[in-house]
Amino acid sequence: MNIRPVRVDDLMGMQACNLQNLPENYTMRYYLYHAMTWPSLSYVAEDHKGRIVGYILAKMEEESAEGDEPHGHVTSISVLRSYRRLGLAKKLMVQSQEAMATIYRASFVSLHVRKSNRAALSLYRDTLGFTVKDIEKKYYADGEDAYAMHLSLKS
Amino acid sequence: MSKASGIPVKRALPSKESTLFKELLQLYETRNLKKGLKTADQILKKFPEHGETMCMKGLVLTHLGKREEGIEFVKKGIRFDLTSHICWHVFGLIQKGEKNYEEALKSYTQALKFDKDNLNILRDAAQLQTQLRLYDALVETRNNLLKLRPNVRQNWVALAVAHHLNGNRKEARKILEHYERTLKNVPDYDIEHSETLLYHVQLLEELEEYTEALRILDVSAKERAIVDRTAIMEYRARLLTKLRSDEAEHAWRALVEHNSDSYDYYRGYLSNQGLSLDQPSPEALTILKEFSSQLPKAAAPKRLALTISTGDEFKELAKPYLMAGLIKGIPSLFADVKALYQDKLKEQAVEDIVTSARDEFAKASSDPSSSTAAGEPTSYLWTLYFLAQHHSYLGRPKEALAILDEALTHTPTLPELHTCKARVLKRAGDYLGGARCLNDARLLDGQDRFLNTKCGKYLLRAGMIDEANGIFGLFTKKDAVSPAVDLEDMQSLLFLVEEANAQRQNGKLNLALKTYMSISKVFDEIQDDQYDFHGYNLRKFTINIYLKLLTWEDSLRSHPAYITAAVEASKIWVAIHDDPSIVTAITSSNGLTDAEKKAKKKAKKAAQKQEETKKTSTTSTNEDKGLESTPQKDEDPEGLKLFTATDPLERADKLLLPLTSLAPNNVAVWIAIYDVAIRRKKLLLAVRALNKARALAPEHPEVHLCIIHLKQTASALPQTPPAPIGDVFSDSLLKILPSEVSLETFNSQYLQRHSMSASAIIAAAQGAHKLSAPRQEVENIVFTALNDGVDLKVPTALATIAFLISIKSPRVDEFRSACDAKFELSTVFKSSEELTSLRQRVLAGESEATTATEVIP
Repeated sequence: MNIRPVRVDDLMGMQACNLQNLPENYTMRYYLYHAMTWPSLSYVAEDHKGRIVGYILAKMEEESAEGDEPHGHVTSISVLRSYRRLGLAKKLMVQSQEAMATIYRASFVSLHVRKSNRAALSLYRDTLGFTVKDIEKKYYADGEDAYAMHLSLKS
Repeated sequence: MSKASGIPVKRALPSKESTLFKELLQLYETRNLKKGLKTADQILKKFPEHGETMCMKGLVLTHLGKREEGIEFVKKGIRFDLTSHICWHVFGLIQKGEKNYEEALKSYTQALKFDKDNLNILRDAAQLQTQLRLYDALVETRNNLLKLRPNVRQNWVALAVAHHLNGNRKEARKILEHYERTLKNVPDYDIEHSETLLYHVQLLEELEEYTEALRILDVSAKERAIVDRTAIMEYRARLLTKLRSDEAEHAWRALVEHNSDSYDYYRGYLSNQGLSLDQPSPEALTILKEFSSQLPKAAAPKRLALTISTGDEFKELAKPYLMAGLIKGIPSLFADVKALYQDKLKEQAVEDIVTSARDEFAKASSDPSSSTAAGEPTSYLWTLYFLAQHHSYLGRPKEALAILDEALTHTPTLPELHTCKARVLKRAGDYLGGARCLNDARLLDGQDRFLNTKCGKYLLRAGMIDEANGIFGLFTKKDAVSPAVDLEDMQSLLFLVEEANAQRQNGKLNLALKTYMSISKVFDEIQDDQYDFHGYNLRKFTINIYLKLLTWEDSLRSHPAYITAAVEASKIWVAIHDDPSIVTAITSSNGLTDAEKKAKKKAKKAAQKQEETKKTSTTSTNEDKGLESTPQKDEDPEGLKLFTATDPLERADKLLLPLTSLAPNNVAVWIAIYDVAIRRKKLLLAVRALNKARALAPEHPEVHLCIIHLKQTASALPQTPPAPIGDVFSDSLLKILPSEVSLETFNSQYLQRHSMSASAIIAAAQGAHKLSAPRQEVENIVFTALNDGVDLKVPTALATIAFLISIKSPRVDEFRSACDAKFELSTVFKSSEELTSLRQRVLAGESEATTATEVIP
C-alpha cells in the first residue's frame, strides 16, 4: 500500500474509512480544520485504486494549561479490517511522529482510547509503544471513560 | 465638515441614547445577548424608528434563535435608515448566515459605500468574494486592507494570494518578496514563516523559476527558516528533476529512504531516469530489486516489481511475495495482487503458485511432525481464502463456494471466510444469502464496526432497510433520532447511497428522492465549510494547503456519490414528469407496512424527546445560537414535499448542472441531462447532451433509446422551432439519424448489431415498444436475452422484469422462472413466499457455521 502525506482530496476517503471502522466520527469540517492547521501531520495509506484504506489524523496541542511542552495528538487512526497485518498503522504513526518532532518540536504524542476498546488498546500499547498515563472520566459523549496514552518522542 | 454634522437627523440620538447604543454594540460583541436586547428596547421605546437600533435588535434576536422575528426587525431597520453602514452590515451578516453569499456581498458592498474603510466589513467582503470566486474584486479589497493596515503581516500575504487566485502569479511574487524584505528578526522554527516560505517556493515553481525556487528552498532549509523536512525534500527532488540536475537522483533516493512505502517517491526516482512504473521495464526492475534488498521492511518496491516484471522473472518474484503473504495471513493479499490480472499470463501464474501452495500446506497441516511455518493450519486457511476470492473474481462462484465450505469446515470462526462467502453470493445474485453470511461474520466479532458496516450495507443491497438500520444502530450515537439520522449527520456517503438505492429498488421513490437529495446536501455543506478558511488560513499562513482546498472545492461534485445522487434523483423527477400517477399512487396509499409504521412512530417519539431536552436546556435565554439557519426538525420525513414539487425538471436541471464540467466523460450524466433538457423544451441543449453521450458511447443502449425519443419528440412538435434554433436543430437531427432511415429500421438494425448483448436487447425491446410494436413482438425480443451466449446478468434481468411488468406482459412469470433456472445461486427471482422465508433466515445467525460443523462426521 502507498503511504504518503495527506492531500485535501483524500479527506473524504479518510472520513469514509473512519466511519466504516470506528465509533468516533466527525464531519468534514473537522478533517478540514486538521489539514488546514497542520498540513503535514496527517498521513494516508491507499490501495492500487487510490482508495484510502488507512489514515492517521493528527494535530498539535500547542498551549496546554499545565505548562506542558508542545506535543502532538492523534485525533484518530485506523486501518480497514481487510488491510490489517500489513503494519500500516505503525508506518502511518512513524511518519506522523517524525513530522510532529521535526516541524513542531513535539516532545511526546498523546491519544485517547475507549476503556472498552481492547483491540485498539493493544494496537497502541503493544504495537505502537504507547503507555497509559491517565484515565479521563466520562471523556466520551456516551459517558465512557478514556485512557489517556502517551509516547515520548525524545530519542 | 465635522463627522457629527454628517449624521442624518433620523440617525442622530441624544447623548443618553447614543451611549446606550454604544453599549448595545459592546454587548453584542461580547455576546451578552439578553442584556443587549434590553438595551435595544430601551432605545426603541423613545425612538421607535431608529434604524440602526432596530437592526441590532434583529441581529440579537437571531442569535437568540428567534430568526424570523429577528429578520423582520432587520428589514424594517434598513428601511428606516438606508444609508447606515451598520444596517447593511447587519443585513449582510444575516444573509451570510443563511449561506446566501451573493446577497450578503451586495449588502456588504452597500455598507462599504457608507463606510469604505471599515476593516471588519472589508475582511468579511473579502471572504465572500473568495467564496464566490470573484477574484478581481478580491484583489481590490485586499489592496484596500493592506493600504489601511500595512503593518499587519497577514495583509501582505493575503494580497499576494488574491493576485495568485486572480491568475497573476508575477504580481503575487512581487508582493510576497516585498513583504519578506520587510521582515526582521524572525526567530528560528517559526512555523508561520516556514509556511510562507514554502508558499514562495511553490509560487516560483508555478512560475517555472526553478533555479530561484531551489535557491530559496536551500537557503531557508539551511537557516532553519523552513522546518518541514518532508516538504523540503519533496520540493527539492521535484525542482532538481525539472532542472535536469545530477543531484536529482540523490534527492529522490533520500525520499525513498525517508518513507520507503510511498509509491510517489519510487515513481519520481524512476521517472527522473526516464523510466516508468506503468509498463514492463528491465531497467526499472533492476532498480526496484536493489531498493528491495536495501530496504527489507519496505513493501512498496516488492509489489511494484510485480507490476513491471514479466514471464519467468514475474514468477520468480511473485512466488516469495505470495508465499510470505499466505504464511503471514495477510487478508488483503488478493485485493493487492488482483490488479496484475490484466495480464492473463500473470493471472495464471498466480493461480498456479497459490494452488500448489494449497497442496503443500494441506499436506503439511495433516502431517503432525512438520513444524515449519508452512505447517501452520492458518497458512492453509488463508490460502483457501485467497483461492476463493480468486475464483469469485474470475466469475467462478461454484469453485469459490466449494473452497469456502472446505475452509469453513476447517475453521468456522474466522469472520473473513464469512465475508468472502457473502461477497461470492452477492455477486451471484443471492443478496439475501450474502446478507446472511455477513451477519454471521458480524456475530463473530461484535465489537468491530467494519463488519457491522458491511453487514448493514449487504442488508441494504438485499432491500432489508429496517433491519439494516437496526444493525447500523449498534454503533451510531445512542441519542440520535435514528441510526440513519446519525449517519446522515456524519456525512456517511456510503450509507446514504446504499440506502437511497435500496429505497428506489423497493419502489419507495419518495424516500429514495429524499435520500438522494440528502447526499447533495452533504456536498452543499462541504462547499460551505470552506468559508471560514478564507480568513483562517491567512491568519495561520498555511497558504499552499489553502490553495489546494480551493481547487478541490471547485471540483467537489465530481465525487461518484454526487454523480449517482444527481443522476438517480433526476431520473425520478423525469419519471414523475412523464407519469404523474406515480405520485398519486404513493401519496394516496402511502403504502406503509406495519413495521414501517412502528418505526415511524418510534422515530417521531425520539425526535420529540430530543426537541424537549433541547427546550429545557435553552431556558437560560442568553445562549448564542449563532447566525446559521439550521433547521432543527425534519419537515418532510416521507420526502413527499420533494416528491410533489411542482418544478421537478428545474430541480433536476440544477442538480445536473455542475456535472457538465465536472463529469464530462460520464455517459449516464449526459443521458440524464438530455432527458431533462428535452422535457424542458431546451432543444439545442438536449441535442448537445445527446451528441456528447454519442461521442462517448455511440452504441450505448440508453443512447439508442434517446435517439428514438428525440426523433419522436421532434416529429410531435406542433411546428418547427423559430430560427435560428429551428435550422440548427433539424440539421443536428439529420446528422444523428438521416431521414431516409425509419425508426423501425434503426431499431432492428441496432438489435442485429448487438444480438448477444442483453442490455442492447432490452433497449431494442423498449424501442419497439415506444414505436408501438405489438406486445408479442416486444416480448419476443425480450426473450432472446435468454438465448445461449447472451451476456445476461442479474441486474439486467431484474430491469427486464420491471420492463415486462410496465407493459403488463402476461409472460413476466415465465421470464422470471427462466432466470431463476439460469442463475442457480441467485435468489432474486424466487417467488415471494420463498423470499419471505429466506429473509427470515438472514438475521437468524450462525446458520452456516452450524451446518458446517454438522457436516463433519
